[in-house]
Amino acid sequence: MEHYNMNLTLKVWRQKNKNDQGRFETLQAKNISSEMSFLEMFDVVNEELINEGKDPIAFDHDCREGICGMCSMHINGRAHGPWDGTTTCQLHMRAFKDGDTITVEPWRAGAFPVVKDLTVDRSAFDRIIEAGGYISVNTGNAQDANCIPVDKTKADLAFAAAACIGCGACVAACKNSSAMLFVSAKVSQLALLPQGHPEKHSRALNMVAQMDKEGFGSCTNTGACEAECPKEISLTNIARLNREFIGAGFSSEK
Amino acid sequence: MKWSQFFNTSIGKKLLVGATGLFLCSFVIVHLAGNFQLLYNDEGKAFNAYAAFMGHNSLIQFIAWGLKIVILLHAFIAIQLTFSNRAARPVKYAVNPGNQTSSWFSRQMAIMGSILFIFIIIHLANFWAKFHYGEMPLHTYPGQEEPLKDLYLVSQETFKTGWLVVLYVIGMIGLSFHLIHGFKSACQTFGLNHKKYNGLLSFIGIWLFGIAIPVGFAIIPVVIYFK
Repeated sequence: MEHYNMNLTLKVWRQKNKNDQGRFETLQAKNISSEMSFLEMFDVVNEELINEGKDPIAFDHDCREGICGMCSMHINGRAHGPWDGTTTCQLHMRAFKDGDTITVEPWRAGAFPVVKDLTVDRSAFDRIIEAGGYISVNTGNAQDANCIPVDKTKADLAFAAAACIGCGACVAACKNSSAMLFVSAKVSQLALLPQGHPEKHSRALNMVAQMDKEGFGSCTNTGACEAECPKEISLTNIARLNREFIGAGFSSEK
Repeated sequence: MKWSQFFNTSIGKKLLVGATGLFLCSFVIVHLAGNFQLLYNDEGKAFNAYAAFMGHNSLIQFIAWGLKIVILLHAFIAIQLTFSNRAARPVKYAVNPGNQTSSWFSRQMAIMGSILFIFIIIHLANFWAKFHYGEMPLHTYPGQEEPLKDLYLVSQETFKTGWLVVLYVIGMIGLSFHLIHGFKSACQTFGLNHKKYNGLLSFIGIWLFGIAIPVGFAIIPVVIYFK
């Protein structure tokens, strides 16, 4: 692919802290290489801001290789930008043309309050995991891994669900700010495996209860989450979560 | 988790919306089958006999009142969910993805449901209220002793009014768009998402409930209007 440089107009959300109202700021990004990642473009803009003595744009990032799930940017109306199955760090500037205007917003959800600019607080996800997204393991020697047979198909499905990086794009993309795709991936990866079975009922009930408590919306099956998920988590996981939840609700004795 | 808690969770409420929705789907099939008798050329003998049976059979009447409660429950919980879903995003996006990530139908459920709800109220006022509580013309068919309430005649007269025909067609467009997403969505809420059945469920949702049934309903007033 041919390399080119471009000048862009950025409309970036600036917000000092959680309590600030926030507003859009228009900035110019000059001489941006088509080979840069979207975050590298922000690095260039930030260096200029720092040289001018201004406050750089705050954004979250960690691995810059598509697996940490920190880069919570809503770009031109799309979670992580226009490409499918990518995080913001894996979105490259060749997705844009010279002279484009790009609007960048943080994830918008009551459960993900903005910390600063494009950085949001996703600790609601951590609390959902704490409510049941684990298996309890007794102390003592670990048993031989191969002594529990696991069906290959189920192992593959569990692995696909476990690919969820908890980035929150599903919440950001959903018109209801629903966290169902995230919760369903976390429930599925365990529900599909024998190790997850003993606690399957309490897991489904507790994680859904925590999800509601955090203020996420409900799922109306629009499929926007699946379309935006950088790890391409399937909607079949949401159906599985629903089955797990129904099963648990109808049979729990509490 | 107690039942009261279970049905107060987001998924529990959706299960109620889905269950009531699927029940209403089954109702439209029965209703349409009955309505087709309006197209018979028998001066309404079959239709009026059918209406008299539906209006007096106590089991049918029990279900009919249940139906009204189900419609209200479906609407009430769906509205409640819609408001809490809106509240889950206090600051809106400046740029929205539109149809890039989800189908238009799937995002218009509340609007289409509202159109449908208004339609149902007008529809009940036009026929149900008249049949049960209003003045009805009577018709005695040859070979019968008791006269029947002539709901057939009322429908023929009602659909001579152009704007009412338009209103019924709009109501059925609302039904169509609501069910194109609604049937499949209810199945997903009940956990029914499986490679082997998804094709069939999509087909039933779009072609049967989304297109065939609303078109079937809409054809009747149009045919009567141009008769």
